[in-house]
Amino acid sequence: MRRKAVHHLFRLATGVCAAAACGVFFLIVWAIASRGWAALSWRFFTEQIRLVGADGGIFYNLLGTLILLATALAASAPTATALALLHGVYLRHHPRPRRLLTLALTVLNGVPSILFGIFGLIVFVQWLGWGKSWLTGGLLLGFMILPTVTVSLMERIAGLPARYLEAAAGLGLTQSQIVRSVILPQSVGGLVTGSLLGLARAAGETAPIMFTATIFAGATVPNGIKENPVLSLPYHIFVLAQDSFDPAVGAKVWGTALVLLGVVFALSLLALPVRLKAHEEAREG
Amino acid sequence: MARRRRWSLTKAASWTFSVVALAGIAGLAALFAVQSLPVWKHAGWGFLTGREWFFRESLFGAAPMIYGTLVVAAVALALAAPVGIGAAVFTSEFLPRRWRLAVKLAIELLAGVPSVVYGLLGILLLRNWVYDALEPFEPLSGDTLLTAGVLLAVMLLPTVMTLAEDALRGVPGAQRAAARGLGLTATETVLHVTLPQAAPGILAAVLLSLGRALGEMIAVFLVVGRQDNQWPAPVHSVRPLLEAGQTLSSKLGGAEINIAYGDPLHWAAMAGLALVLLLLVTTLTLLGARLRRTDHAT
Repeated sequence: MRRKAVHHLFRLATGVCAAAACGVFFLIVWAIASRGWAALSWRFFTEQIRLVGADGGIFYNLLGTLILLATALAASAPTATALALLHGVYLRHHPRPRRLLTLALTVLNGVPSILFGIFGLIVFVQWLGWGKSWLTGGLLLGFMILPTVTVSLMERIAGLPARYLEAAAGLGLTQSQIVRSVILPQSVGGLVTGSLLGLARAAGETAPIMFTATIFAGATVPNGIKENPVLSLPYHIFVLAQDSFDPAVGAKVWGTALVLLGVVFALSLLALPVRLKAHEEAREG
Repeated sequence: MARRRRWSLTKAASWTFSVVALAGIAGLAALFAVQSLPVWKHAGWGFLTGREWFFRESLFGAAPMIYGTLVVAAVALALAAPVGIGAAVFTSEFLPRRWRLAVKLAIELLAGVPSVVYGLLGILLLRNWVYDALEPFEPLSGDTLLTAGVLLAVMLLPTVMTLAEDALRGVPGAQRAAARGLGLTATETVLHVTLPQAAPGILAAVLLSLGRALGEMIAVFLVVGRQDNQWPAPVHSVRPLLEAGQTLSSKLGGAEINIAYGDPLHWAAMAGLALVLLLLVTTLTLLGARLRRTDHAT
């Protein structure tokens, strides 16, 4: 009888923890959505900021964030593919460099995002003399999400059935033909999932771009590299959050946060089915 | 001949991109080490133990920031770890599959909430709640180390929970079945079979979350008050929790970085803070990764 009671108590206690975790999620979404909903309108998406954020919309902020994400994708996808091929194909029979590669990615994955910002400030802003530039921001975000993208692709390549490779080798294909016609097409899903997850994280990052790529107002579409910053959603929120005593600004900040949350959730949801499946498979296997 | 050339093209491209990426990683670490050299020459170990940071007097002591970083992370972890692990146990061991997927969906999305959004919630809501709750202790404002810790705890929750759940799921189902077959209740199975086996993975979850907590900038920056040179009178005093403080990352994210660039020593001091942060986080990352590996090997 006592053992049963302990069981029910334990299950209740852990259940409360789980409910709290889910509750936090709904509370956050509710807190943002209920305050930001009113700001959303057609004009909010198509106009630029006016009156220091108190009026107008976030067109160029949204555009800037999309430019940064596209650049990050263009930088990280080929690099991640290269690293994953090194790990899965070219270094397949060299365990030590292979482990070193995984180790480097693990370390990179842990690096705090502000350090990417300062790294970019030194290398791109100062040494290369780019000033604030969209390209710096995109490259830094791409660098930051590199482990996520690479590991996702690496796992997919490692999971390819051996008989695919044997069949390809049996047909007399060269290693590079196998890479291009079997390994990459069969594992491209890993690249897509990893990129979506990485971009979901990159979209909301402020620290890597605040010193290097983004300003609060006065930028539109970049027309070069040097001194060509963009506006962005997270930096807009970051600046206004520190100075939001004006209720008109407040409504716009919550609206911007809701849009950013929408972008991030959309990217994560696209990646989710594959991820949940992978987790469950790990369980059965 | 054509075959051979194509072979080398794919391979050469892979190597080129990889070398650039790996050079970037090495460069990142080397950069902070090299750039911070002047401050180590100037202050030696005093850079880590010094309690005063006045850059106009060339006084660079990082101790209050290291203290702030550790205290904020400790508060965050003390709150997030028990709840996160409890939630992981419940979803992994007690929830039916369909519900588990729903919970995981919510947690995955929660993990994706950007830190600037947490910062906004912190600055406009949490800070006022903390100020009201602490009224009997008369805090100067709602911007305190405690506020930053609580906010960070919410941010860490999905990380702790996901990693701990991974560890629990890694324990083979046969072990559970055997324990139940011996007549143990589900709770006894968890406490005596599943949790001990998943312990390295759960410890890894805590360490990796701690690493993330130390480096988090934006949200902490917005609610920590960014007050330099805060040092607790008796070291174990909890009073500083109710006061503003500074962490390594909030210092690095502030405007001082732009002032510092003109002055080599001041810049070296900022790079030194970055190096300390990088070393702290990397140590935790490597420990966590190692534990996860041993966990998976069993």
